[in-house]
Amino acid sequence: MSGLLRRIGGDHPYLTAFALFEFVFLVLPSVIILIASFGSDQIISFPPTDLSLKWYASLLEEQDYIQPFLHSVIAATFCTAISIPIGVMTALGLNRYDIRFEHGIQIYLLLPFTVPLVVSGFILLLLFGRLGWIGDLWAVGLALTIINIPFMIWSVASSVNAFDPTLEHAAQSLGAEEIQTFRYVTLPALMPGIISGSLLMFILALNEFVVSLIITTTATETLPVAIYGAIRGNISPQIAAVASIYVVIAIVAIVVADRLVGLERFLHS
Amino acid sequence: MSIRDEFHKSSTRLKWRVIDALIDLKERLPFDSTSVSDRFGYVLISSGILLVSFLAVGMALLLEYSFLTYDSIEIVVYEYTLNNWLRLVETTAFHTVFVRTLLYSAVVTIGSVGLGIPYAYLVVRTERPLFRYFLLFGLFVPFFTGVIIRAYGWLIILGKTGLVNWLLKTVGIGTVGIIGTPIAIVLGLLQYLLPFTVLMLTPAIASIDPDLERAAKNCGANQLETFRHVVLPLARPGITAATIVAFTLSMANYSIPDLLGGTNSFVANFIYNKIFGTLNYPFAAVLCLVLVVVASVFVFGVFKLYGTGTLGVEVDDE
Repeated sequence: MSGLLRRIGGDHPYLTAFALFEFVFLVLPSVIILIASFGSDQIISFPPTDLSLKWYASLLEEQDYIQPFLHSVIAATFCTAISIPIGVMTALGLNRYDIRFEHGIQIYLLLPFTVPLVVSGFILLLLFGRLGWIGDLWAVGLALTIINIPFMIWSVASSVNAFDPTLEHAAQSLGAEEIQTFRYVTLPALMPGIISGSLLMFILALNEFVVSLIITTTATETLPVAIYGAIRGNISPQIAAVASIYVVIAIVAIVVADRLVGLERFLHS
Repeated sequence: MSIRDEFHKSSTRLKWRVIDALIDLKERLPFDSTSVSDRFGYVLISSGILLVSFLAVGMALLLEYSFLTYDSIEIVVYEYTLNNWLRLVETTAFHTVFVRTLLYSAVVTIGSVGLGIPYAYLVVRTERPLFRYFLLFGLFVPFFTGVIIRAYGWLIILGKTGLVNWLLKTVGIGTVGIIGTPIAIVLGLLQYLLPFTVLMLTPAIASIDPDLERAAKNCGANQLETFRHVVLPLARPGITAATIVAFTLSMANYSIPDLLGGTNSFVANFIYNKIFGTLNYPFAAVLCLVLVVVASVFVFGVFKLYGTGTLGVEVDDE
């Protein structure tokens, strides 16, 4: 046994055994949803007595989740699209220029992380209510941007830090205009940060729940809110089929992230 | 010439025309390029500042709301009063919920940081890329799956006809009802927090020089002693960051106590019920401010005692 663990994890057989146990603990809820979604019983039971795809078929027939799914995708796309320029500009501004009160501004930019989500949700309900934005899907996207923007700024900032500014000087001394320098030197160098930040923003927006629960109406209901409503109603395996979509998206996102920038990048941002 | 080459050529031409137009536009702008540099920095960061201002302005708005009068029909009346704050002292139900939230948060913070350290250590130190990928995969699946989906997964695991009860029945013990008990909340919160704590711990552990561990071993320390006297003290910035993140996230969690905890609600659930149950916005504002203040006091207390940890490394690296 110890030999096997050494073969898997190398030098630390006991730690490896413990980490494998934690791995199971981490992925079990997601895996169990995938398994349950193929059951054919009316109520969720484990293990499923029969395997079938009927709950997936029922998703297409009843359409209860299709609209919320589209809402989630649109809001997440909006969120990602506006967070890219904001994140790039803020990260460049903070790292490249001599800004007064830089430390204070950095702490200020962490506000979305320090304000509890339920409080952010209430704040945005009050503000968006006054502005008349409740009921607009783009406002949901904006809300998701507000609460997650530090991820984008961090991610791009780590690329800015890793980038050697003399490359820009080199480009300019070769006659490149500032805009050309930005487009052909700076932007490509920041791409890993932008890609990992965008992926994070999109996935987190797709999953965000509490703020969405507070600020969405039936016209803008996102998928996590719809799933939550369904769970509180009854635990039909149909929900497992919808939830499986998230598990699959998560797995695809991990593979894509690994291919594009490498998973380890996410540890540093 | 093939269509593809033709397309490539014309798209290149278009690209240059766009860039020329942009350069032309830039030169017409009334910017003095010598004095512009630092001021341009402020222009760049203004977008981020503006976005976060929604929350800053909202906090001020919350403070105002907390002194307004609640009316069951009009919700808010613009008459200033201290009643909402006095009500905080009287509402014993909230005190119970608050103490419960603090207690559970303390337990799961210790638990998730404790579980996170060995996992993060292996992620950093394993020499096998495949095993590291495997560990990272386990980390990102829950991180990318969202809290509602995970809570639902726990319902299937712990529910009456779920995995745990099936296992118990198979080995001949009867069934147990775990949903609605503290065990379900703690399990759910631990699994929710673990990816965060590991992500906070890895940079700190990665910055420990492996030679120091080797040196400790050469001096006769066994693995446990090395861990205790070398890794743990040097990983302290990461432990600080992980503690802060785990504590604040569990303090404000809504979904796990709501779906797994039955009647054991947390502060966030209490606030939500005030917002949508009775529409008592002023009292909800008071509760929100209390939550923010307690979380901030905790964060700043830890910062004062132990420094900003890895959170600081990422925030300032001048």
